[in-house]
Amino acid sequence: MKQFFSELYFELKKNRGAMIGIVIIFLSIIIALLAPVIAPHNPTEVFSDSLRLPPSFLEGGKAGFFFGTDDIGRDLLSRLIYGSRISLAVGFSVVVLALFTGTILGVVAGFYGGLVDRIIMRLTDLIMSLPSILFAIVIVAVLGPGITNSIIAVAVVAVPNFIRIIRAQVLVEKNKQYVSAAKLFGAGHFRIMFVEILPNCMAPLIVQASLGFSDGILNVAALGFLGLGAQAPMSEWGTMLSDARSFIESSPWMVTLPGLCILVTVLSFNLLGDGLRDALDPRLKKQN
Amino acid sequence: MKTTVLFFLFVSNLALTTAQAKSFVYCSEGSPSSFNPQLVTDGTSTNATAQVIYNNLVAFEPGSTKIIPQLATSWDISKDKLVYTFTLRKGVKFHTTKYFTPTRDFNATDVVFSVDRQRVKTHPFHDVSGGKYEYFDGMEMGKTIKEIKVLDPYKVQFVLNTPDATFLANMAMSFMGILSEEYGSKLMAANKKSDMDTMPVGTGLFVFQSYAKDSVIKYTANPQYWGQHGNIDKLIFAITPDANVRHQKLKTGECQFANEPAPADIPEMQKNPKLTVMKDAGLNVGYLALNVTKKPFDNLLVRQAVNHALNKKSYIDAIYMGNAVIAKNPLPPTIWSYSDAIKDYEYSVEKAKALLAKAGYPNGFETDMWTLPVARPYNPNGKKMGELMQADLAKVGIKVRLQTYDWPTYLKKASQGEHSMLQMGWTGDNGDPDNFLNTLLGCGAVKAGSNYSKWCDQKFNKAVVDAKVQTDIKKRTALYKDAQKIFKEQAPWVTIAHSTVFKAMAKNVKGYKIDPLGHDLFTFLVIE
Repeated sequence: MKQFFSELYFELKKNRGAMIGIVIIFLSIIIALLAPVIAPHNPTEVFSDSLRLPPSFLEGGKAGFFFGTDDIGRDLLSRLIYGSRISLAVGFSVVVLALFTGTILGVVAGFYGGLVDRIIMRLTDLIMSLPSILFAIVIVAVLGPGITNSIIAVAVVAVPNFIRIIRAQVLVEKNKQYVSAAKLFGAGHFRIMFVEILPNCMAPLIVQASLGFSDGILNVAALGFLGLGAQAPMSEWGTMLSDARSFIESSPWMVTLPGLCILVTVLSFNLLGDGLRDALDPRLKKQN
Repeated sequence: MKTTVLFFLFVSNLALTTAQAKSFVYCSEGSPSSFNPQLVTDGTSTNATAQVIYNNLVAFEPGSTKIIPQLATSWDISKDKLVYTFTLRKGVKFHTTKYFTPTRDFNATDVVFSVDRQRVKTHPFHDVSGGKYEYFDGMEMGKTIKEIKVLDPYKVQFVLNTPDATFLANMAMSFMGILSEEYGSKLMAANKKSDMDTMPVGTGLFVFQSYAKDSVIKYTANPQYWGQHGNIDKLIFAITPDANVRHQKLKTGECQFANEPAPADIPEMQKNPKLTVMKDAGLNVGYLALNVTKKPFDNLLVRQAVNHALNKKSYIDAIYMGNAVIAKNPLPPTIWSYSDAIKDYEYSVEKAKALLAKAGYPNGFETDMWTLPVARPYNPNGKKMGELMQADLAKVGIKVRLQTYDWPTYLKKASQGEHSMLQMGWTGDNGDPDNFLNTLLGCGAVKAGSNYSKWCDQKFNKAVVDAKVQTDIKKRTALYKDAQKIFKEQAPWVTIAHSTVFKAMAKNVKGYKIDPLGHDLFTFLVIE
């Protein structure tokens, strides 16, 4: 396992995009963790004498508000910093939830085959046949708006991808000799599935997980934009974006900044994911 | 094959050049809750129904609150102010539509039919579409009117129980629009009574064509309209809930009129040479209703504490962008009998905390607040105002959960009293103080649904009911001033703002007058 990661790091180092991605992700994790220390103000505090101030480096800005303030006088920088907490936490929870359920279902489907496989795969087909954001909206509409419910909704939508990837990998692995050997030694199904086969399916899982991170962030931001995600006064990037939309002409920074934050975070996870794929996919490796 | 294509091109081209129809696209802010003005109370629905499809016996002169003849050519009031006799206009035709062709002109039976639907419980249409006439009941018209007599087909007499200073103005209001009795009989025979409220027939300038919820309403001009009118042939309501999108559509010419422009867009609209922006002090009030039937708002001290806790000044700056004044009374200052002697609860976190402690909530409490889902003149951004209020109330320990529904659901649930705190507002629609104080705060309005605080104070109610039957304006003023004092002491609302109303339209739209009563009138519009 240790060797696996050192090899991975060696491959990744050659990929500049992936390295940039890692640096940005690392930075945003630090920002999110240290939010109460770095943020100059409380994100929900209203400064009623400082409405729609432009960033302090532009004309008309005030020194205390580096990125300016929003339409009701809250410090934009602080809101963005706290927003990173939500977005990263959301991405993480979505991936963990989807990864956990997706892995179990995928391994079971691939290992047992037959009726179990057919039931699980038809269910994934069912979910995948619906546009993902639409399906997420339906789930949130049923559960009620809120950050927890939108995480659940986005995770449900993300599960099929994990199931399919794992299942495909399990189908390849389960006929290999080491699995037969384990069987001969009398290993139980559980041991074969999760101790023997699963570790050998890690590569595509890691790639999918890092891409799932960005999908999760994006989808939850979209739900927030539609008013179904984080509820006030929580500062979430998607919600901030939609609230500031009506000021796009008079105060463009209010829309631009949360938009940029979403873009940069999602991009960095995608860069990392692509880098991981390049590093881990044996077929791509041979071509190089 | 080629020739047929060419032929079609030719025909469609011909159609384009010959049809010089003047269409007017109105970017409205929401879907109407019904097409029957008797069933609606909000401006959004009234604009799409009463102002286009229907006429009343009397009307307000565009741009003022003066009462002028409409379907009645003249009226006569008895000395004791109890009998009103209306002489009706002859030769007025109801709309001919795909679903109805009238065989007779408008006459007295239509008047009786329309009023009795709301007044008489045994009327065949009374229970159709819910049987709730919020406006009619809120104005206590049922109590006021004793009977309606048809003297001849063109003469109707209204006999009242008590003199009512507001009666004529009430007759001009949207809910007194005249429906077709003939259409009603036809629907009854076909057993499709509810079509009355979804497929409307009236005498107004515009004939209803089609409606797709949250998308579009189409009307065409009535070729047999009885009165003077502008030159619009096709009227289209493009339902666009987002104020920013309405602005963009107006800029690109997709619509000629954008309702409820966002205050943030006003300066830019004023700079645009292709647009006209009009403004006027609105006859409105935005408020936060505290539901007195729910704990802890049944406690007067809590209501006063909330009044002290909200920093109204910051809402005026942030939400209205300064285009409003702080409200201390439920009446706007432009209306007569406004009491300037009232002292508002000043913004004070300490006082609010002290009152809460006295009321037995030293650590505050948790509650919910409903935020207005649509932009209205009295509150252009309910969600953001909610966030400000949430922050203000958090300072005194009240934890607020914000929630909202789509507009028709919001109104329905609110009139049933499901909320604790509710953002609401009102644009006066007959220029009389009764229209604010009685309609929004009277005991009759609790049952009718338009008293969102569910507050029924006997002393207050007596003052406004007495003022209604009083015809001496000095005595009425005194009573209304008393009522405003009681209101302020009892604090069923937090009064927030009286806003300035803006209207934005394309340069080539002429003849538009801002209605002090808050509606958009299309009858006299001319497109150049």
